[in-house]
Formats: sequence, structure tokens, C-alpha cells
Amino acid sequence: PADTSDAAQARVRSAPAPVTDVARLCVCDLLVAQCDTNCCCDPDCSAEDFSLFTTCSIPVVIGDSQLCSQKAAVYSLDVEANPPERIFKLIDQVNPSIFCIHATNYEQALYLKSPEIPTAENFDELLDKFGGATFSAEPDSWNLDPDAQNPSEANETSRYEYGVPVQTEDAFLRLPSPVVSSWCSDANPAGFLVNQATKCIRSVSVENCDSIQALSMLFYINSSILASVFQVNITVQSIAVQSVNGMRTFLSSAEALRLPMVLDGLCINAVLGVNYHITHTDTGEIIEAAAAFVLGAISREALSIEQSFEISFTQENTQPVPLSGNPGYVVGLPVRAGFQPQGYPFPAAFLSNKHGQLTILHSTSTQDCLAAQGARAPVLFGYNMISGCKLRITAAMKCQPLAQTLLDVLKGQSFPEYVASFGNSQAQDVLDWVPITQLHISEQMISHTLQSSCQIPVSLGIEVKWTKYGSLVNPQARIVNVTATITSTTLKQLPSGRERIIPITSSVVFTDISSPAEPSYKAWPTINIKLPFDFFYPFV
Amino acid sequence: NNSSQLSSLPLHILLYVNGVYYIFYFLATLAMIIYKSQVFSYPDDFLAPDLAVLFLMAILEVPRLYLGFKGNLTEAEAPLGLSLGLTVGSVLLCVYLLLWQSYVLWADVLLNAVLLAAYGLESGLKVTAIAAFVS
Repeated sequence: PADTSDAAQARVRSAPAPVTDVARLCVCDLLVAQCDTNCCCDPDCSAEDFSLFTTCSIPVVIGDSQLCSQKAAVYSLDVEANPPERIFKLIDQVNPSIFCIHATNYEQALYLKSPEIPTAENFDELLDKFGGATFSAEPDSWNLDPDAQNPSEANETSRYEYGVPVQTEDAFLRLPSPVVSSWCSDANPAGFLVNQATKCIRSVSVENCDSIQALSMLFYINSSILASVFQVNITVQSIAVQSVNGMRTFLSSAEALRLPMVLDGLCINAVLGVNYHITHTDTGEIIEAAAAFVLGAISREALSIEQSFEISFTQENTQPVPLSGNPGYVVGLPVRAGFQPQGYPFPAAFLSNKHGQLTILHSTSTQDCLAAQGARAPVLFGYNMISGCKLRITAAMKCQPLAQTLLDVLKGQSFPEYVASFGNSQAQDVLDWVPITQLHISEQMISHTLQSSCQIPVSLGIEVKWTKYGSLVNPQARIVNVTATITSTTLKQLPSGRERIIPITSSVVFTDISSPAEPSYKAWPTINIKLPFDFFYPFV
Repeated sequence: NNSSQLSSLPLHILLYVNGVYYIFYFLATLAMIIYKSQVFSYPDDFLAPDLAVLFLMAILEVPRLYLGFKGNLTEAEAPLGLSLGLTVGSVLLCVYLLLWQSYVLWADVLLNAVLLAAYGLESGLKVTAIAAFVS
């Protein structure tokens, strides 16, 4: 029994011996016990099969061609014969080069090394050598010392480049995201300067919700981020508690950690969303990290919850301004607008913030203009929009306040004065901003020409004229002109008790006014030949 | 004057040609070892002995040729005999490079064969010269 086990081990330890006889080697013989098409070296093929072949897919089987003299098996089809037959020749191929290998005394030179078969004895050693993500080509020089690698890593964590995973003490800053299916995978690292927002589903159970790591705040702020020579702790920026019906309340004291626990059949303080904000310097070093949490409650029936994660990077001492294109506007991004603060000559900065965005009225389900105050939608470049509401006019309404209210409804609280002509226009460049031209059109009814009658605005039309700018192959969109037209109509005095419904509309239209591009070509070279003046000498 | 001169002219010529040829041989073999280490798989365990043999042969060649010249010109047997002994060592090293190198290229075979032939002829002439000097 001992001998057989040794023999078995000896058999297992070595891989089967490689075939080196060129006459028996056939690479195209893939089907077992069947003839492969066009495979002239296949032993399963008969003479009738050979007569059907058109060509030999493998004409020569040869060993290492650098040897001075070696055997080669040559297969060819004799198409002249009827039926075609296969010719097999075993020849001595001679390499005429003077640097051909005459002999070797190093056995592994011409053959691939047989890999070590893992057994119980050498498994640990093989796992150490080859179990990692990388291993060096020369196993003799492989360095088993992990301390030697640390000094080089310390330099690299100080400076991050775009896309490099943000490293923390134990691994990477995790941003759980759906992989393949919608279930959360915790192995997704956050890349530096890559703003991401992900949503995924996690399976939960209320009974052991305090043992599920991914539901507790600690899981997300536990390890500190490695940056230059020190570590940056992740601070809790704010905590919002979401109730069962979706209302969120900000907690005033954001320092206390709230861990999930079971209460009245609900699991409270479960993490429903995390929003990381990382502040970095302009050289790529992370200096601050904060996380804003949304905590919620999980009911007993829920088998899974949806978690949302977001990460955003901000450079220190800057206000992030989202660009709408670089440089031309990108379709779908909001049109940037702003005000010019009073002052002459032009002061340096425009105030371009969210309040000064170009917005239009957003239609609501109630369609009542007076009730839907404040619902506005941003104007997105390239998207023509129309929206409106219905105004119920009763006899008791006074004209002037109504006109002012409608103007507010149409234009919004702070209608901007300037629109950026490029998607990345800076506030300092005054010439990159286009003023909004405001027009007033009043629809005068022909029969009523009284000037003192009341005019109320009923529609606002914003026309944005843009052109293609730049090269022919990569045109950039540039806004050239913005015109806001307010159309007013006269309001007839209603008899008491009656009411009228007037539709109020606002629209945005984008018009492409780019002139057709004319590609220009280089002038053809002209051939400048002049005959010498005495060319026709004897005759002229 | 010919009868009284025992120094062998063919030996002198051969030693001179051997010196020139050896410089070419050394550079060519070194270049080929470098070529082999780049093109083929040549681990350090196998590269080191081959290089050591080549350099040892170069180190032996210098005193061997010097003693050969000196012995032949001064018509003394002792330096010539010592040179013969060093030649035996050189022949062994040359045979190693011909047969037992890790990779023996066809060019290696040619160079070493020519060198062996030169050594053989030289040894014959040295033996003849020693016999002439002794008697």
C-alpha cells in the first residue's frame, strides 16, 4: 500500500510528458475519433476524406526553427492526381543561418517548463508564490518581504491622480454600487475626482438589522483616508432622518453616531443614503472628507431596501460651478445665466448662482397659475419647452396687482440679465456673456384702442439663437442672442359674478442660426513653365 | 647561418597569427554570448560558468603566447615547456566551449574548431622546437 501511494504521488506530481515527435504531432486534430476538415495530419482521416480537402491548414509541423538541423513533417495535397491525395514527407530541415543552434546542454531551453502540480506538501509554498494578483517572471528573485514595498507606497498615496482609487487604512473607500444585477456590491472603490452617484438594493431583515454592517453608519466612516503623511478622518457632516412616508428631517446635533437598533418592530437608524464630500488641494492631496447620511426605518415586511450613494470632489477654496459644456453648450445641460452687479465701468464679476438661473414656469397638475407659485424648471440647452397654466379671472380682481403677479409667475423671482455664450464662460469675462433682450408686445384688440385699459402679460417667449462655432469636424454650440418677448393683452372688465379663464403660456425655443460652413481648400499648385525666348531659334 | 639557428620560424608565425585570431575569437564569442542571453532563455546559473570559462581562457592566453615567443626566440626549453602546459589548459577550455556550453551555435563550432586546429599545430611545432633545443 505504501508503494502504490508513492507511485500514485509520483504520477500525480508530474504532468504528462510532452509529445515531441513531429510525425505524431497534429495541432488541427481537435475532434476525437472524427476527421477534422482540411487537417492533413489527422490520423482519423481516410483517403476518401483527403480527396475532399481543398488545402492543408497546417502544411509543416516543425520544432524550434532555430535549430541547425531538425526533422519536419510536411503535409501537402496533390491536386493534380484524381482523386486528390495527401502527401506526407518527413524531411530534415536545415537552417542556413550561421547562428543556428547546433547543440544545447541546457534541457529547458527548447521546451516549455512543466508546471508544478500542487500536492499537499507544496501547496502552501505555491499559494504564497502565485496566489496574489501578480507574480514576477523569475521565481528566484521574488521578494517575499512585504516591508520592502511600503516605502514606495507611501509616496504614491500622497498624490492622487484622476481615477485612482481613494485608499483608506484597510482597503479602498467603498462606494457600494450595483454590479451585473441591482444588488449592492461593496467592492466598488471610489475613484479620485470621479463624481459618482449610485443606487443599489440591499437585502435586509429586521430581526438582525443591527448585525448587518452595511446598515450602520460606522461601516462608512470607520477607516480613515490615507493622504500624504497623515490620515484624514471622515467626519459626519449632517444626518437626515427619513420617516416612513418620505419626509426628511435634519438633525441638529450631527456629532452623535446613531447605530441601527430594533424598536417596535421597526429597524431604525438604518443607513439609506450616504453622500461623501471630499475636499482636495490643486496638487491632488486630500485634506478633508465629510459624509452626509440619510437614516431611515425598515419595517418588518421589507426584505430589501434601496440605498443611494454619492461622492463629489471639491477643490479647496473654490466654489464649484457646474459647467454646461466645454466650451460649447452640451444639449441637455442648463443654460447658465447671471446678473451684472451695478457699477460702471463693468465690474469684474457676475453673480451666477442657482437663483439667477434661466428658468421657465413649470406646469403643475393643478394648472392654476396663482396657486403654483414658485414651481420653475431650468431651461436646458437645445430642448424647446412650452409650459403654462390657467388663470381664473373674477370681477373682483384688480388689474395692476394681477399684472404684477402674472409677470412674477412668467418670469420668476429673479429673471437674469445675461446669459453665458459658452458653456464654460467665466464670470470675469464680460464679453462672453450675452444680454437678454426684453421685448413687450401688446395685443391690441382693434375695437378697443383705449390706452388706459389694463394690460396683463399672458405669454413669455424666450428665443435663444445659437450658432455652431469652431472647427468643421467638432462644432461647438454658442449662444448668440437671447430675446424674451412678453405678450400682453387687454383685460376687459368683467361684469360682477362672471369669471373667465385665460391660458398663460411660456415657451423656450432654440434656433440654430449658424451659417453653412464653407470648407476651404488649398489652391492647386500652378505649373509655371515658360519656354526660353530662343526656343524656336532657326525659325523665329 | 641557418644551421646554427634553432628557433622555429613557422612556430613564430603561428604564434603571431594565433594572437591576432584570439582577439577576434574572444570578441566574437563574447558578442555571441550576449546575443544568446537576449534571444534565448539563459538563466544566470548557466550564463556564469560560460562567461567564466571564456575570461579564464583569455587570462591564460596572454602568458601562454608570451612564453611561447620568448622560449622560441631565446631557444630555451623551459618557457616553451611551460607554454605547452598552458596550451593544454587552453585546449580543455576550448573543448568545453565547443561541447558543453549552454547553447552551441554553428558559428561557435567554427570558431572553436579553428582555434583547436591552431592549438594542435602549435603544440606539434613546440614539441619539435623543444626537441631541437634539447638535443
